[in-house]
Amino acid sequence: MTILEIMERTGTKETSLAIAYIKDAIHLIQSNSKEKVKINKQDLIKSSDSNDNVYQLPADMIALEYVSIKDTSDGKYKRIKRLVAPPSYLLEDTSP
Amino acid sequence: MSKYVDREWFYYLRGRELLLYKLLGGSSNERITQSGVLKTQQNELMYPDEDISDGLRIEYTSLSEPFVKEALEDTNIVMSGITFSAIAASNRIADSGSGFTTSKFLANDAIRVQGSSTFDGDYTISSRDSSSAYIVLNENISANELVGERITITQIPSEDSTPSETSHPNLNRMLSLALVDYLKAMEADKIGDIQRKEYYIKEFYGKLGDNESNKRKISMTFPSGPFAVR
Repeated sequence: MTILEIMERTGTKETSLAIAYIKDAIHLIQSNSKEKVKINKQDLIKSSDSNDNVYQLPADMIALEYVSIKDTSDGKYKRIKRLVAPPSYLLEDTSP
Repeated sequence: MSKYVDREWFYYLRGRELLLYKLLGGSSNERITQSGVLKTQQNELMYPDEDISDGLRIEYTSLSEPFVKEALEDTNIVMSGITFSAIAASNRIADSGSGFTTSKFLANDAIRVQGSSTFDGDYTISSRDSSSAYIVLNENISANELVGERITITQIPSEDSTPSETSHPNLNRMLSLALVDYLKAMEADKIGDIQRKEYYIKEFYGKLGDNESNKRKISMTFPSGPFAVR
């Protein structure tokens, strides 16, 4: 279905406004269901100071589906669990 | 070496950041020393202690490629076989069966290659050989590959980065119909008709639900008992 067909069905005459509304609707669709999924991979680094465990979520992310870590013993990505609260016991030092 | 990552690694979300933690008393670290001293508290966490190339994988939805040049229902060409090879020097995919006919792929089509050992990926077609023997890609192929692998080449939607009235939303027909409801709702909102807006928003979410449930059709059959009323 072309944008023109959508505009004709809704009685809209402004193309740029229709395109903006369609983007909003696709944003809502992507927020509610997994219509199109993207994958982002980042290198893990060995922590040596207090902010080395911080990674950026993708800038274009709408909804997070899964986070996985590569298990180097078998080369497979395995889903990891989310902490609902920051850890109570934490060592910033990686070689205690 | 990381192992048991599904049990020993955790993440915490803080705004637009993802914080990674690893269990200190996990498989790679002893909780009790040889002299019997407890080294860590239970469930004590530490920062990741190793480098892993591409070690973090995030699966997410985004607003990428919202518009395409061809309707999703029309991007349905698939070729599969063991006659495909790759020529890196000229960025070609060749078919020894000369199957790249005009009814198949055309210039500017986007394709996805699967099953190859060297050139799996997404490409766009630059041109097609008139004898149907090969297609030339816009992107580079890193290595040559001989025929023999079972390879599938699937047409995928080609993004329209400058959408116009002739572009298509990158959605199937059911979701395109949901877009119509969304636009009607926004038009009603513009003139302050909230009741009408609510009606169309409900229709929009109804079609989203239909689209999901259409993928999950379940049929159940129950045997009727010998004394059942028929």
